[in-house]
Amino acid sequence: MSDALGDLEAGAGRIRLPSTRRRGRPSSLLVLAAAIPTILILLPIIYVVLRSWNAGWYAIAAELARPRTALLFWNTTVLTVSVTVLSAIIGFAGAWLTERCDLPGRAIWRVALSLPLAMPAFVASFAWKSMGSEFQGLTGAVLILTLESFPLIYLPVAAALRSMDPAMEEVSRSLGRSPRYTFLAVVVPRALPALGGGALLVAAHMLSEFGALALLRVQTLTTAIFQQYELQFDNATAAVLSALLMLLCLPVVLAEIRLRHGHRVSKVGRNTARQRALVPLGRYAFPAILGLVALTILSLGIPFGRLGYWLLVGLSAGRGLDTLGPALGGSISLAIAGTLVTTIVALPLVLLALKSGGIFARIADRLPYVVHGLPGLVVALALVYFAIRLFPPLYQTAWVLFAAYAILFLPLAQSAIRASAELVPRELEEVARTLGRGPLKAFASVTLPALAPGLGAALALVALELMRELTATLILAPTGVSTLATEVWSHTNDGAYAAAAPFAALLVLISGVPVYLFTRRTLIPRRG
Amino acid sequence: MYDVTRRRFIQLSGAGGLALLPGMIRPARAAGGRIALYNGQHRPPVEALVAAFTKATGIEVAIRHGNSAQLASQIVEEGANSPADVFWSEESPSLVATARKGLLAPLLPETLKQVGAEWSAKDGSWIGATARCRVIVYNKSMIEEAALPASVLDFAAESWKGKVAFAPNSGAFQQQIMAIAILKGRDTALAWLKGLRDFGETYNSDSAAVEAVEGGDLPIALSNNYYWYALAREIGAADMNSAIYNIGHGDPGTLVTVSGAGVLKSAKNVEAAQSFVAFMVSAEGQQAIVDAIAEYPLRPGIVSPFPLTPFDKLDPAPVTPDQLGDAEEALTLLREAGLA
Repeated sequence: MSDALGDLEAGAGRIRLPSTRRRGRPSSLLVLAAAIPTILILLPIIYVVLRSWNAGWYAIAAELARPRTALLFWNTTVLTVSVTVLSAIIGFAGAWLTERCDLPGRAIWRVALSLPLAMPAFVASFAWKSMGSEFQGLTGAVLILTLESFPLIYLPVAAALRSMDPAMEEVSRSLGRSPRYTFLAVVVPRALPALGGGALLVAAHMLSEFGALALLRVQTLTTAIFQQYELQFDNATAAVLSALLMLLCLPVVLAEIRLRHGHRVSKVGRNTARQRALVPLGRYAFPAILGLVALTILSLGIPFGRLGYWLLVGLSAGRGLDTLGPALGGSISLAIAGTLVTTIVALPLVLLALKSGGIFARIADRLPYVVHGLPGLVVALALVYFAIRLFPPLYQTAWVLFAAYAILFLPLAQSAIRASAELVPRELEEVARTLGRGPLKAFASVTLPALAPGLGAALALVALELMRELTATLILAPTGVSTLATEVWSHTNDGAYAAAAPFAALLVLISGVPVYLFTRRTLIPRRG
Repeated sequence: MYDVTRRRFIQLSGAGGLALLPGMIRPARAAGGRIALYNGQHRPPVEALVAAFTKATGIEVAIRHGNSAQLASQIVEEGANSPADVFWSEESPSLVATARKGLLAPLLPETLKQVGAEWSAKDGSWIGATARCRVIVYNKSMIEEAALPASVLDFAAESWKGKVAFAPNSGAFQQQIMAIAILKGRDTALAWLKGLRDFGETYNSDSAAVEAVEGGDLPIALSNNYYWYALAREIGAADMNSAIYNIGHGDPGTLVTVSGAGVLKSAKNVEAAQSFVAFMVSAEGQQAIVDAIAEYPLRPGIVSPFPLTPFDKLDPAPVTPDQLGDAEEALTLLREAGLA
């Protein structure tokens, strides 16, 4: 996931020296700081292993041998692969049209293609399923989730297409290669890391998605884990399913590592601001616009239309409006503070992995991605388990919730920070040290400012996820604290859709803020 | 241009976040005039009762909303350190499970006297506040009431293929499984579940099942009565395409279940917690609850404003909450049938 975001950041890194990958000994302070996220990440893993262990080998084997487990595994895989592939196709096509073709109104289309990022999947699913049963089931889920997921691929690919040096393509064309050949042999391979990074993000989302799938009546490993906790107090089955889910994350993580290695090559010559000729669409312009209009209606128009419909028609409209303020306050304060904690905790992990090539540093750096596919529920219950046993005074304070946020969303922050951190030559900090600065001061005055773009992207991306986070918030938030997401959940639970609509609409609106901050780098052309 | 904005964004959010932090790190412990309520019941009745209670006593109530079974497991996990004072559950099995772990304190005898003994725990660890009923919701334009079968057991047959919506996750559905197992035997209950698995349609919740029937996706849903009333409140009763059918004659298709509450042994504010539960079954409290949700009051003499089938005309399955217990057997059956 990392360098997909990196492409958004790269242009903003101002110091650009060739990075010599020299490994030094990281300071013990850094190792200590990196231990915090590592311990946090280990908590849910230990919890899942502990609970599975309690079930015993026989129960684990019996659970794995059930036909239902095979069905859940199959559904999860089909959903994840289909949504990822479809999102990749739509995202790439959209990026190609808005960045490389003479499409009329490209600036508007860029916004339209980025905005679905602000639409939580459960809001969109609710809108669709309330229109008819044909949208339920695996096929419907694939289509609906694709419509809200493709911006995760569109954004990095658009950034990559924009920052590619046109010289390569010109050389290919001047050597007599056809436009099609040039596209396949020059453009696609160099957009692939960005595409892959976004695709991996989509895949991880699909593995842990609950709300939307529950509404659309699709059973996956994650919905089954929720069902287990809803049905019973003994969670052995849920633990076994969670372990299975973590195993499913492994190929995703491995693919991500492979892509990162392939990506280094394409780092040369980014940030070229040279004008390129746009591909004339000709007679394809009309179908292209038609397609984009359809995409916008499906991904934005229908969910918003449905919210408006309930607001006008539903008789529970206006119920509980007095909680709108506290819920908005809860969403914003939890999201901002949680974002800061997550980003700060992620920072040493990234720096350590860059400074030290050691096996432990690399494992610590990768571990969060394995946990990223776990549903918030499992992480929350693990924290309840450990907080009550080890730190009772912290239980039901916001700190435990922040820890859950950090565990769930570390990879997003890591990826964004790493993209900037990789561009900072280590020599700079060493120069500062030789000039007499202490390690902390050298870091604060030299490295930290250079990391600003990555930190900014990390903050925006994590804030977006935190605002819609539901299950960990429900279980861990201090008693009496509500957020927009928890209010939407409780009102729709009571069938009060009109009462839920203003909360959902507000949630989408404030999600627009981080989306805007995150995407403006892509959307607004850089000034020379 | 955007560099400046970004830096400012980081600075602003940093400053804002840090300013907000101290306000949120206070644990919501009950102290003085404040109790913590773990609530698994639907929100409208709970919020109505809490408002009336605070107005009458001045005691503030911090509410943690959630799913009853999840809150029960959270309370069990919390053990003696639980910040909760009162647990209000949508279903009795969650209360039974919490009581079996020895986490509930006995309620005041004065409180227990307010409702019939059959609706509360024998040992007085929890009390039933309202009752609801398992019903059949059917779409009037898709099926005639006369065509509905005499027993809920009949739905598990091929002739009803694709026509019956049910929610295996629902706590009330699990109690229905228990009732069938108690009245007709375990094998019948298992066969019924297997039939529903093969011929029925699973939904994530009763409310989703009722909406599907109202929307014309399929003609029949097994549900609690109030989900239909909640939808009728949203759409307008006159515009509803669906209606409620009570099977009656002691069939497990008409099962009365209760929602109730208990005080935790570990409560920090026992007196206030006991007074909350007492208020719940007082005339004022019961009226506040049943005005907000289409459930039956368990205190005699209270009238629901909803056009409910009269309680004494239900002729429900002869099973008490005490017999239903913690409904653990229902999960085993669901798993054996491959529904969980």
